[in-house]
Amino acid sequence: MTPWERYRATLDGRPVDHLPRIPILMQFAAEFIGSNYGAFAADHRVLVEANLRCAEAFGFDQLSAISDPYRETAGFGGTIEFVANGVPRCHGPLEDDEAIAPDRLTAPDPRTAPRMRDRLDAIRLMRSRCGNHYSVLGWVEGPGAEAADLRGVATFLMDLVDDPEGAGALMDVTLKTAIDFALAQVEAGADTIGIGEAIGSQVSADHYRSLFLPRMRRLVDAIREAGAFVKLHICGNITHLLDDLATLPIHSLDLDHFVDPATARSRIGKSMVLATNLDPVAVIRRGTPAEIRSRLESCYAALGNPCMVNAGCEIPSGTPEENLRALCAPLSWSAFPDS
Amino acid sequence: MSDHHPLTEAIIRGRRKDVPTLVSQCLEAGESAQSIVEHRLVPGMAVVGERFKKNEIFVPEMLIAARAMKEALKILEPDLVAAGVKPEFTAVIGTVEGDLHDIGKNLVAMMWKGANMEVIDLGVNVSPAKFAAAVQEHRPNLVGLSALLTTTMPAMRDTVQAIRDAGVPVKIVIGGAPVTHTFAEEIGADGYAPDAASAVDCALALLKQGASS
Repeated sequence: MTPWERYRATLDGRPVDHLPRIPILMQFAAEFIGSNYGAFAADHRVLVEANLRCAEAFGFDQLSAISDPYRETAGFGGTIEFVANGVPRCHGPLEDDEAIAPDRLTAPDPRTAPRMRDRLDAIRLMRSRCGNHYSVLGWVEGPGAEAADLRGVATFLMDLVDDPEGAGALMDVTLKTAIDFALAQVEAGADTIGIGEAIGSQVSADHYRSLFLPRMRRLVDAIREAGAFVKLHICGNITHLLDDLATLPIHSLDLDHFVDPATARSRIGKSMVLATNLDPVAVIRRGTPAEIRSRLESCYAALGNPCMVNAGCEIPSGTPEENLRALCAPLSWSAFPDS
Repeated sequence: MSDHHPLTEAIIRGRRKDVPTLVSQCLEAGESAQSIVEHRLVPGMAVVGERFKKNEIFVPEMLIAARAMKEALKILEPDLVAAGVKPEFTAVIGTVEGDLHDIGKNLVAMMWKGANMEVIDLGVNVSPAKFAAAVQEHRPNLVGLSALLTTTMPAMRDTVQAIRDAGVPVKIVIGGAPVTHTFAEEIGADGYAPDAASAVDCALALLKQGASS
């Protein structure tokens, strides 16, 4: 099977030769090709080269346009500073406001806002270089995550309690941009859109259900209508959200390492791909290849099918190459992985 | 109906706007500022910490509770200063060099204040030298180091070393998403806290241990 065939078959719930490998790479990939995170985030040519070379070297099944959370925030007018060895630094345009003022925002056009256009360019370049060999993953910030980037994380979290209506109005603005950006990425060639909603794990199930979930559903529906697959990634412990997430029509869900895989499967059901969730630091970066392999097999047994191989979050900078090879060495598909 | 004092309940619920009136009522009833801190505010934040650990509340609720407590402390501070009241323990806290994330560090700082500690917040992207200088200047009982990025974990190691080199006897607690108990032991920190509420338990356990040793 080609990587794309393997990926597609897994999403369809069909048997495959081995599980697709879809690790999240940013700083590690940049450094693997002798570049740095700043260049990776600022220049799509570096991002594409890093993804392709890592995919070839480690045997991934997907190329990813993820780089950092601030492409849309820059489009909204946030200030961005690129640093060589770290996540870009960003000051959101609403961070200094006392109250939520979504009407101060001008929705960015993904085709002209420089950092959003750079991601579209990345997807086009990936497609032109890999054809249909790999899956190509586009990326958007979820409505809540982007609202937090615009307001500042702590401020937005307090907004949810102080002014839920205003927080919702801000999320309506960020939802529209997420949909525009996602559809532009599908048009550019992405077969799957990843939604990053990092802040979701920090809020209660009530807040998630009332403010996040309805908007997430509209975003997912829009991406599906455009003919793409949808993956959701929420950093942190989302055990308290699993029942609500099970109602979303997404195709795959990442689990951070805080989530018990068997619990996740029992509450999500079999309709959604769940990704393995080894601890990125304690296991992937600091463990041994044998430990990684053993934990990966246990995790697959607990998750069952449909399943893909991932770490709980980004592969950290400084991860030994042999550790990433251990994560990505083919793990045979099994009809009964827990037997 | 809650069994808590109305001011304690306002802290727990994060009702900042109710705080000034409730603090005034306590003062008018003859309660000292120190007593209000010890018997109204600290118990409130303890409840917040417990509920957070049990996943009954989440970060937004913890943030507004801490904001309400801060409002109360702002009102009480002149009285506390005039009475010469100082918290029993002093802590220095910051996010290590190269890391600009502050929400975890801020939550721990708020929870430590809520446990009646004086907290000197050095901010984010704090160099080992700055931590060492702060330790020498303030002679704290406790230092908290925060990091969200895996890439800044080495800075945590350097910071622990710089603080030890400063020669001030102090307990060091580390925390942040990529950090583990094993890593804390490896770099010579005294404790590791997986979240802001646990950071209070960890700090108090270390400080009691220090006091008895």
